[in-house]
Amino acid sequence: MTVSLSCMEYGTQGVITEIKKYSRELNALGIRVGKIVKMVTKQPIKGPVVVMTGEVVVAIGIEMASCIQVNTDIDPAYIRDK
Amino acid sequence: MKDERSMILLIGNPNVGKSVLFNRLTGGDAVVSNYPGTTVDYTKGTVLLDKKSYTVIDVPGAYSLEARDKAEEVCVKMLEANKNAIAVIVLDATRIERGLYIALETIERGLSAVVALNMIDSARDREISVDSSKLQKILGIPVVETSAVSGEGLKQLGDMIRKARPSNIKEIKERSEGKEIQPETGSKCPGCCGGCGGV
Amino acid sequence: MTLTEDERWALVDRISEQVIKSGTYKQSLGDVLGELTVKPLTGIPVAVGVLYAFWSVFGSFAGTLCTDGFFVKFFDNYFLPWIQSVWPNPDGILYFLFVGDPNATNCFEAFGVLTSGLFVAIGVVLPAVFIFYLMMALLEDSGYLPRLAVLVDTFLHKIGLHGYAIVPTILGLGCNVPAVTATRILETKKQRFMMMTLIALFIPCGAQLGVMIEVIPESIGYVMLFLIIGYFVFGYILSKIVPGENPEILIDVPPYHMPQRDNILKKLKMRTGGFLLNAVPFVLFGVLLVNLMYLFGFIQWLSDIMAPMFVTWFGLPKETAGPLVAAFLRKDLAVAQLSVIEMTQYQMISAVVLISIYFPCVATFVVMLKEGWKELLAAVAVLLSVAFIYGGIIHAVGIILGVA
Repeated sequence: MTVSLSCMEYGTQGVITEIKKYSRELNALGIRVGKIVKMVTKQPIKGPVVVMTGEVVVAIGIEMASCIQVNTDIDPAYIRDK
Repeated sequence: MKDERSMILLIGNPNVGKSVLFNRLTGGDAVVSNYPGTTVDYTKGTVLLDKKSYTVIDVPGAYSLEARDKAEEVCVKMLEANKNAIAVIVLDATRIERGLYIALETIERGLSAVVALNMIDSARDREISVDSSKLQKILGIPVVETSAVSGEGLKQLGDMIRKARPSNIKEIKERSEGKEIQPETGSKCPGCCGGCGGV
Repeated sequence: MTLTEDERWALVDRISEQVIKSGTYKQSLGDVLGELTVKPLTGIPVAVGVLYAFWSVFGSFAGTLCTDGFFVKFFDNYFLPWIQSVWPNPDGILYFLFVGDPNATNCFEAFGVLTSGLFVAIGVVLPAVFIFYLMMALLEDSGYLPRLAVLVDTFLHKIGLHGYAIVPTILGLGCNVPAVTATRILETKKQRFMMMTLIALFIPCGAQLGVMIEVIPESIGYVMLFLIIGYFVFGYILSKIVPGENPEILIDVPPYHMPQRDNILKKLKMRTGGFLLNAVPFVLFGVLLVNLMYLFGFIQWLSDIMAPMFVTWFGLPKETAGPLVAAFLRKDLAVAQLSVIEMTQYQMISAVVLISIYFPCVATFVVMLKEGWKELLAAVAVLLSVAFIYGGIIHAVGIILGVA
C-alpha cells in the first residue's frame, strides 16, 4: 500500500517511492527515493512529522510530508538487510 | 588573504562537530567575523603546521553548494573567493552519506581537499564501520579518521592537510564503478542494484 | 566535468555502499532521550520544564545571587557614598552628569554616568547576560534546540513562521542584536522580516530582563504575558499582510551530544566579551546623553508635547516620556528610570511593555539597517503603529479590568 508520509502511523516503516515536490531540499537532508523511513512522531494540530532514515532524524512540515509517497508493504527481510 | 595555499576552509554539514574541530586546530585565538554584505558570522583563526601558518575558517554549515539559506550562500561565496584554499571536508562518520554530497560538490569545484572522518568514536559505538582507506582510494584525496571531542586523529589531520590535493570527479566515478569491490564490503541484498539507494 | 544532482546522489550511494557497513542498530540512551523529548506527550512537559529551569536559574543567579547578593550592597553601601564624598562641587554640572542626585541613597536613583551607568552595566546587566549566554550555549551544544523547534512549530507555523524561529526568539531574550543576525536561518525574506520585526517589538533583551527582575519583580509576569500575547497576535496579523511565502519546517534533528567544556567556555568568553565591549560604553553614553537632555530641557519639552498622548491614550504619567526617549539608547536604563517614577502597578506594567515594543535600541537598529534599509523603514513603520495600537489596547484592558 502506498500512502503519503503525512499519513503514516507511529512506529511504522516504509520505502519512499516518490517525492513530488521539494525534492532538492529533502534530498539534501537525506530524505530520498528508495530510502526506508520510520515514523518517529507526529505533532498534533497539523504540526510537523519527525522521521528517521538510517542514522538521520529529520522534522518535516506536514504539507511537505504529504508530497512524499511511501510504500508500507515492505518485506521485513529487506529492512533487515539494509 | 588569497596567497598560495595558506588558507584552510572547514566545510561540512551542520552538526558534524566542525566548530569543536576548529577549536582544537586553532587553540584559543578565534575571531568572529561578519561576511561582507551579509550578516552571517563565521569564525576565523590560525594554525601552525610544520612551521607554516595557515588561516583557518569555520565555514557556516551547509548541506549543498546550491544555496538554500544565507549561511549556505556564504559557504558558496567563500569557496568561490578562495579557489586556492585547502578544503577540509568534515564528515560525520555516523552519517556519511549526507556529507558526501557536499564533499563531491567541493571536489568538483577543483579545490585541494582532505576529508576528516569525524565522530569516528561514536560511529564505533554504533557499530558502523567505515572503510576509510577505501574511501580515500575512491575519492583520490587523503581521508583521516578523527574525533574532535577526544582529540583522536587530529595530529594526522594536521599532517594530511599539507598533502591535500584536488581530485577528478570523472575518475572518482570510474573508481566507484570499478569492479575491484572487496567481497566483504559488497552488499548482497537483491534490492541494492545500481543507484536505487540503500546504505 | 560536473554532475547533475541525480548523478551526484547516485555516486554518493555507490561510494557509501562500498565503504560503510552498519551493524545492527542499537538504541542508545541518547536516542531514547532524543525520541522522548521530541514526542509531544513527553516532549512538551520536558520543554516547559527546561524553559522554566532556564528562567529560574536566570532569575536566581542574576537577580538574587549576583545583583542583590553582591552588587547592590557594594554599589549602594560603599561605592555611592564614596563617589558622592570625593567628587567635588555637588552643585556643578559635572557632578550632575557623572554622579547625579547628591541625596540619592541608591544607585538606581542617582542616575549619573558613574553611579547608575556603572551599576546597571556591571551590577545588573553583566550577570544577566553572562548566565543567559551560559545556558544558551548549553542548550545549543547539547542539541536540544532543534527538538524545541519541532515542538513549537505547530504554533509558530500558524503565524507564518516555523519552529526554527524559536532560536532567534530565545537568542533575543539575551540580546536582540545577535537575534536579528540569527534570523538568517529562516528561508524567505518574508519570514526574516517578520522575525526581525517581532524580535524588535516583543522580545525584551537580557539586560532589560535583568533590570526588570531587579526593580519590578512583582509585575514581570504580567509584562511577559502582554509581550507573548502581542507576539502571537501581531505575528498572525503580519503574516497576513506581509507578501511572500511561509515555508514549512524542514530541519535535521541531530543526536544529543555532551556539551564540550572548552567550546562552551569559548562561546561564553566571546559573547560576554562582545557585550562588555559593545554595550557598556552604550550604557554609560546613554546616561550621559539623557542627563544632557534633561539639562537642556529637551526631556521636559518632549514630555509636554507627548503628554496628551501619554496621559489620555496610554494612561501613563507624562514623566514617562523621558525614559521612553532613553529607551532608544538602552532599554535597561529606561526601565531603571521608570522605576523611580511615581505610578500605579498597572501603569508600570504598561510603561514597561511600551518600552519593550515602541522602538529597538540603537544597536539593534544598526543591525537591522544592515539587513536592508527598506526592511528597516517598513519595520519602523510597523513598530510605531503596533506600539500605538497595543499601548491603547493595554490601556483599554486596564480600564475594563478597573485597574488603569
